[in-house]
Amino acid sequence: MNNIAGSRSALVWIVNLCVLGLVCLWLFPTFGLFVSSFRTADQIATSGWWRAMFASEQNLTLRTAPPESQVQQGDLYVIEGNLFGDNPDAVISVWGVSSRDIDAYTPGETAELRRGGEITVQADGGYRLVNTEAFEGNRGPRVFVTATTPPELTFQNYKNILFDPANVDGMAKAFFNTLTVTIPATIIPILVAAFAAYALAWMDFPGRALLIAAVVGLLVVPLQLALIPLLKLHLGVGIGKSYLGIWLAHTGFGLPLAIYLLRNYMAGLPRDIIENARVDGATDFQIFTKIILPLSFPALASFAIFQFLWTWNDLLVAKVFLIDASGQTTVMTAQIVELMGTRGGNWEILATAAFVSIAVPLLVFFAMQKYLVRGLLAGSVK
Amino acid sequence: MSPALQGLMTIVIGVVGCVGYFYLSNQFLDKVLYPARGPNAGRNINRANLIRPWLFLFPALFALGLYLAYPVVETLRLSLTDRVPGGGYEWVGLRNYQQMMQEPKFWEAMRNNMLWLIVVPALSTAFGLLAAQLTDRIRWGNLAKSLIFMPMAISFVGAAVIWKLVYDTRPVEQDQIGVLNAIYMALGGAEPQTWLTTPFWNSFFLMIVLIWIQTGFAMVILSAALRGIPEETVEAAIVDGANPFQIFFKIKVPQIKNTILVVWTTITITVLKVFDIVFAMTNGQWETQVLANYMFDKLFRANDWGVGSASAIVIMILVMPILVWNVRNARAEMK
Amino acid sequence: MDHRLLAGSAALALIAGAAQADKVTVFGPWLGPDQENVEAVLAGFAEATGHEVAYVGSDSFEQQIRIDAEAGSAPNVAVFPQPGLASDMAGEGFLTPLAEGTGDWVRDNYAAGQSWVDLGTYAGPDGADNLYGFFYKVDVKSLVWYSPENFEDAGYDVPTTMEELKELTDQIVADGETPWCIGLGSGGATGWPATDWVEDMMLRTQPPEVYDAWVSNETKFNDPAVIGAIEEFGAFARNDDYVAGGAGAVATTDFRDSPKGLFSSPPQCYMHKQASFIPAFFPEGTVVGEDADFFYFPAYEGKDLGSPVLGAGTLWAITNDNQGAHDLINYLQSPEAHEIWMARTGFLTPHKGVDTSVFSDPTLKKMNDILLGATTFRFDGSDLMPGGVGAGTFWTGMVDYTGGKDAQEVADEIQSSWDSLQ
Repeated sequence: MNNIAGSRSALVWIVNLCVLGLVCLWLFPTFGLFVSSFRTADQIATSGWWRAMFASEQNLTLRTAPPESQVQQGDLYVIEGNLFGDNPDAVISVWGVSSRDIDAYTPGETAELRRGGEITVQADGGYRLVNTEAFEGNRGPRVFVTATTPPELTFQNYKNILFDPANVDGMAKAFFNTLTVTIPATIIPILVAAFAAYALAWMDFPGRALLIAAVVGLLVVPLQLALIPLLKLHLGVGIGKSYLGIWLAHTGFGLPLAIYLLRNYMAGLPRDIIENARVDGATDFQIFTKIILPLSFPALASFAIFQFLWTWNDLLVAKVFLIDASGQTTVMTAQIVELMGTRGGNWEILATAAFVSIAVPLLVFFAMQKYLVRGLLAGSVK
Repeated sequence: MSPALQGLMTIVIGVVGCVGYFYLSNQFLDKVLYPARGPNAGRNINRANLIRPWLFLFPALFALGLYLAYPVVETLRLSLTDRVPGGGYEWVGLRNYQQMMQEPKFWEAMRNNMLWLIVVPALSTAFGLLAAQLTDRIRWGNLAKSLIFMPMAISFVGAAVIWKLVYDTRPVEQDQIGVLNAIYMALGGAEPQTWLTTPFWNSFFLMIVLIWIQTGFAMVILSAALRGIPEETVEAAIVDGANPFQIFFKIKVPQIKNTILVVWTTITITVLKVFDIVFAMTNGQWETQVLANYMFDKLFRANDWGVGSASAIVIMILVMPILVWNVRNARAEMK
Repeated sequence: MDHRLLAGSAALALIAGAAQADKVTVFGPWLGPDQENVEAVLAGFAEATGHEVAYVGSDSFEQQIRIDAEAGSAPNVAVFPQPGLASDMAGEGFLTPLAEGTGDWVRDNYAAGQSWVDLGTYAGPDGADNLYGFFYKVDVKSLVWYSPENFEDAGYDVPTTMEELKELTDQIVADGETPWCIGLGSGGATGWPATDWVEDMMLRTQPPEVYDAWVSNETKFNDPAVIGAIEEFGAFARNDDYVAGGAGAVATTDFRDSPKGLFSSPPQCYMHKQASFIPAFFPEGTVVGEDADFFYFPAYEGKDLGSPVLGAGTLWAITNDNQGAHDLINYLQSPEAHEIWMARTGFLTPHKGVDTSVFSDPTLKKMNDILLGATTFRFDGSDLMPGGVGAGTFWTGMVDYTGGKDAQEVADEIQSSWDSLQ
């Protein structure tokens, strides 16, 4: 008995560990990007995000103050200051004055400058430059330092991306464009589909079975086929590339799933309710609006989430039916792809932009997960 | 007018329009055309009931026909024509298909798509099944499930950014900022790998992104199916002395065979349409081309509607067996 | 000065002949700061002629101009970033030939004038050759960027011949450092920086006629002359000692990240070959002329091919004929039109009559001097090849080549893709 219990608890432990591993594996990539979006560009570029909480060592190229700030002390010309500016929080371990030898000196030592004069650098970045002749030129000499900077998490990236009016990479506009696409493209198909689903579920007419089969068939038609014919159509009737165009397109593409989900759900409602209402003299229209719609709320909600996620995350349909030469209608997904092209190495921008676009669907996801799961279970053909 | 206001107005117009259409057309049918009064009341009610379903269906049928059925036919036609400079079309028969078949890029896309079709559904379903089975037995299973399920909500483009960071490569003398290379170097790798540009293997690194997204879907469905298995069958096996692995593979899996098939085909369809991931991460370079991206290239970069439409038809043909299977299932279910 | 006045008044005289004021729409690839620049030039045009003018810029110019032309809603003047598309559209009858005499003017007033005329001359729908495109605003590609202070620290001198450049490269390796940063990564366009290398090497190993024959595919892509140029590029890019990160990193390093190696501490490399636009991707706060500078990518002293310059430029063509559009092309011939943009930023011109003292910074003047000093000017060949090659297999082929594939094999593949287009 003991033996069995022992092996059982060992098994439970293994299962727990396996699940933990799986969850970490699935969470890690997103978490990495999330952490990165709070780090500065330098930090992201020089150390992995998993070191975000540790001090990082960086090689920096800094300059002293320009010669115009020199003062004469006796027969010496002196420039003094701090390499890190006004708020030094980094600690210098080694430094140098030539790009060929960046770790030649330790803090406190004095180096000869090639153009004449000497420089002494302290661990906190303070320096003193002395020469017997006046310094010339319009810039101070370069100092190469290896410094340990404390970890720093910042909201600056988000500020830049969302609120900086001068920022051409701004996501704020794209965010509103996405919202403008998403909301009508979610609501309109629900209405259209709900009526059709009711007809397919509870009304008798010839050809009903055939129509249901057609809807199931259209469920898997790749929307790729629709791109050129519909773009041609839209250009032909004068809609062109516009919000109206993409709303219509998303409505069309979302309908099969909407009808299918809602019909399945409505067909499962108890027959008595509807029969009773009919006997009481209610018309189909009344039955639909007063009884069926309220009862179908869970199915409506799950389709709404699907359609919302799908339209929010879509790239292809937006590229074809909405985004035009004016650049005024870029949605977030397209904006991020552009950023990957033009700012490939600037992870602070990319990570932040990606998170701005991911945040809303994640919120919806966690808040409405129940309906999403229900919809999935009903939606996959049994 | 600001787009936000425009959007708001469209919602109002759209909603009012839809409701208005359904309400007024019903009113028209019941009050004007076939009023349920007077001498013909009975006949009128019957007539109205014959017409009403079509009133309910009309907007949906119209949209479905225009946005899904018509394009299939039109794309087929376009794939058999070429555009003539200055407007108009010219019938070219199967020449676009011939031209496509001669392009190595097309065959590269086909080969990759086949790989995707095998690997992604298989691994997504396997991981999904594993996650479903394991999370069902622990206390924080629901939390674990929703975390594994979470990538479903992330756009393919967002996922592409997330994984690009994972796959990032820095020169050997610098610290690696991509997790994969950091691990590889920590395990004693000689120099960091450029995961996305090594032909053949890079396709697998792209597939991982889709597997990561789709596993949650597979898990949710399969977990529901697993819970639906009658307890008796499992208990009987335990009494017979079966170990957990035997129970899982010999008792449980066979009983949810159909659900596994459904999950498999659903993911297969997603795979055939996969575009964003490849577009955003490699754009089909380094031999990672897939059909959907090949088609996009042809349509909007090479401006060749003929070959572009032909490749769309190829995707359609690949989907066809699943379409037929789904329709037959649905019809069988209704009988 | 007299000369300038004359040219200016000649242009004005031509313009004064226009009877009524037209509305001229201009569509081009420039957005952001460049849009402001071009609008300043167009404002000058409006003021000088009384025409009304409106500019629209787009990121996806190439796709949009085609759709607009087919829909019959083309702008009056389109600014093409590359001649290939303009040539196609001329053949389809979407472009209007420029006024007579424009070709002669370009020949006389632009440095390497004949090159510019040839680049803008295409076969019309009837098969007859006409001048359709007028070049205004050009880029120089034959530049090598470096950090003067790093050169000073190491005691290197700027090389003036290819032989010296190769010596310097070996010298840097002997000093235990890495001479070059090369990055070909560019998302969907990965590989294009290598095409510039190969083109520059073509101009430095073969006479310009061979270059032209190569671009038009009279000389096949797998000709020994072309393979020689590819291997000249390989001599730099495929040598692990020469390139930062080793040859394996060339194809994957993003071209925008690549120059950053010049400014890192310690420097990852000492030289970076790239076109005149690259300072936009230098680390923030980098001052061109102080922190960074450039020199002409030199020619072989032993080959006697002069000093060839590789470049690119925007070509203005009339897509919807009206008098105002012709007047605009005329206006662009006046030094004033060039000087307005010169006084702003990022503008180079082959116009010999302009006052180069109006350049906003000395760097641009130095670049323009390279342009004006060119004995041969050749346009970026990959832009002139058919899109499937110049923006397709040439790019991917170069990626394969830097990955270790044989030059012959790569060239054969590119040639066969070219054959399949015909």
